[in-house]
Amino acid sequence: MEYFLSLTITGLVMGIIYALMALGLTLIFSILGVINFAHGEFYMLGGYMSYFILAVVAGLNPFVAVAVGGLIIALIGLIFELGFLRPMHLGHIERPAEYAILITFGLSFFLQNLALATFGPYPHRPPSFFEGSVDLGIIRIGADRLTASLLALALLAVLLLIINRTWIGKALQAVSQNKDATAIVGINPLRMNTLAFGMGVGLAALSGALLAPSFSITPDVGAVPSIRSYIIIVLGGMGSIPGSILGGLLIGLVESFGAGYFPDPSRALNYKMVFGLVIFALILLFRPRGLFGRREA
Amino acid sequence: MTANTEGTSTQSTGNNSTGRRLWFSTQWVVAVIVLVIALIAPLFVQTYWLHVLIIAYFYAILASSWSLLAGYAGQFSFAHMAFMALGAYTVGLLGRFLRLSTAPTGTCAEVRLGNLWLVLLNAVGDNCLEVGKANMPVGTLIYHPPLVPGIILGILVAGLAGLAIGALVLRFRAAYLALFTIAFSEILRTLIRGEPQITRGDHGLRVAALFPDTISRIPYYYTMLAILVASLLFMFWLARSRVGLFLRAIREDEEAAAARGVDVVRYKVMTFVITAMLAGLAGVFLAHYITILSPNIMVLPQMGLVIAMAIIGGVESLLAAAIGALIIQVSLELLREFEAWRLVIFGALLIVTLRFARNGLLAPLMQQLAGVVPRPESRREEAAAEVGEEVRV
Repeated sequence: MEYFLSLTITGLVMGIIYALMALGLTLIFSILGVINFAHGEFYMLGGYMSYFILAVVAGLNPFVAVAVGGLIIALIGLIFELGFLRPMHLGHIERPAEYAILITFGLSFFLQNLALATFGPYPHRPPSFFEGSVDLGIIRIGADRLTASLLALALLAVLLLIINRTWIGKALQAVSQNKDATAIVGINPLRMNTLAFGMGVGLAALSGALLAPSFSITPDVGAVPSIRSYIIIVLGGMGSIPGSILGGLLIGLVESFGAGYFPDPSRALNYKMVFGLVIFALILLFRPRGLFGRREA
Repeated sequence: MTANTEGTSTQSTGNNSTGRRLWFSTQWVVAVIVLVIALIAPLFVQTYWLHVLIIAYFYAILASSWSLLAGYAGQFSFAHMAFMALGAYTVGLLGRFLRLSTAPTGTCAEVRLGNLWLVLLNAVGDNCLEVGKANMPVGTLIYHPPLVPGIILGILVAGLAGLAIGALVLRFRAAYLALFTIAFSEILRTLIRGEPQITRGDHGLRVAALFPDTISRIPYYYTMLAILVASLLFMFWLARSRVGLFLRAIREDEEAAAARGVDVVRYKVMTFVITAMLAGLAGVFLAHYITILSPNIMVLPQMGLVIAMAIIGGVESLLAAAIGALIIQVSLELLREFEAWRLVIFGALLIVTLRFARNGLLAPLMQQLAGVVPRPESRREEAAAEVGEEVRV
């Protein structure tokens, strides 16, 4: 029972961070109708950003570095959206759905190679938020990981507030429901697209920056978190915000229990992702619209 | 004045129809020139460049088969390198774990085939063949299995994986295929890395050479070239058949094609399986050429490279995609001094090509040679109209 509880806690701690990253993907999908195949690379860049900000500005508070890093990456996202995704929404691109897949995957290829050329293949690890580990009664958990998780939880709460309570959030929701109607009431859907893409990749970057002290950063570090996010949004239902949060927690639990109860502990970690793929296949077989998806997929 | 206008209009339509024929013939002229150069290349280049070209042909098979799926059928798979690796690892694992023996070992799992025993070695613990040898009669011969059945099996395994994924995912929007294949590809790689007792993981799995009696690369060169030419011819035939027409109709407008009576899912799955098998074919011969496999052959940047080759060449033309692969692979060698920056350049080129030259950089060039100006806006109606006729027949 104690083991079960400790696995639950580890699963939830990681699940919250997974949810944060997947929420970024959901935000982009629900507003732009685009799946960002470069999501993992923004996660990776977020980690590098906070590493280099801390390396350049000595003595800076690491949380400030995380925030500034996330902001810079969000700006890069805005610029990419303006240059490469907006033309799609202006109708300048033939077969936009195909274009969206290819251009974001192309961006991922470009960014990953850029990181490899600039930073090299060796892992970089920013300094810890807090040293040591925290005793939660049943289980000791790394202080960095717990900090990351609590911050992710706070960010999720702030984000939900923004989406549900502010003008911007309501405008975003409106665009995700009906672009034309939104334009009629005076909201520019194109601006909302840019904003949503920036926010979405910013969330990926923040997740990367939050987890960088626990798992160091390499140019290919984004692959696993991004694939996990893809599984989460399909599980939660494409475009559903509660879906991606619940999906994130569920995948966190599945990975934790899957690895915890795997018969051969030495290989358990390798199979964590396999459970995700099995879940992906099962959803497609039995409930293609996921937990909270709109009925259309 | 009126006559003049009439003249221009007839001329332009005339141009269009002859232009189409010309475009195909130019494509064949280019193909024949490239083929002749490829056939005599071993006379002029050193072993090292022969190796570069063999790998370039390997990429050309992958880029052109990916473009059959993407450019003709409009389906974007990120598992092409995974299918390639499935083919490669199938032959590698068969070579590692299967033996033929003239006497039963008594210690391994084995089946009798005529007067031989097919022996399955164990992955964990003492080598059962070595243990069993003590009790086997003197003069017992133990062989490695022949390569051809393994090659066929490797291609079939890739095709079966393609069938399973295609049947599962191709009922949904294009994004689902991309999502599922990217997950499948990375997770398969993690599995191969994570089971070193079976696959040898990052240590590398040794594979038998296709031509063990020679150190020359020339036989490999002609083998890979022959496979490339054969796959291209097969894909040309497929693309110009009814199936190719259906695929283009599906790409332009899936619902319209379905309404016209095209069994959309069936043709998509069929193409997916065919391209998976072509990727498996490339992988099988890569394995028997480089003779050592590691999971790194299927990392996503490798997939990205193949996509860059196809897109920069021209994803809607099989030949342009193949030549794009050759040019990029050779340039990667020529630009060696730029190390990791080479792929950054091609990554940037990929994005710019996607944004500003959807038909790629080579395909329009090849069309220009033929003096044909592409008319993208009319293709949709053309494909729809042609399918309509075809289906009514």
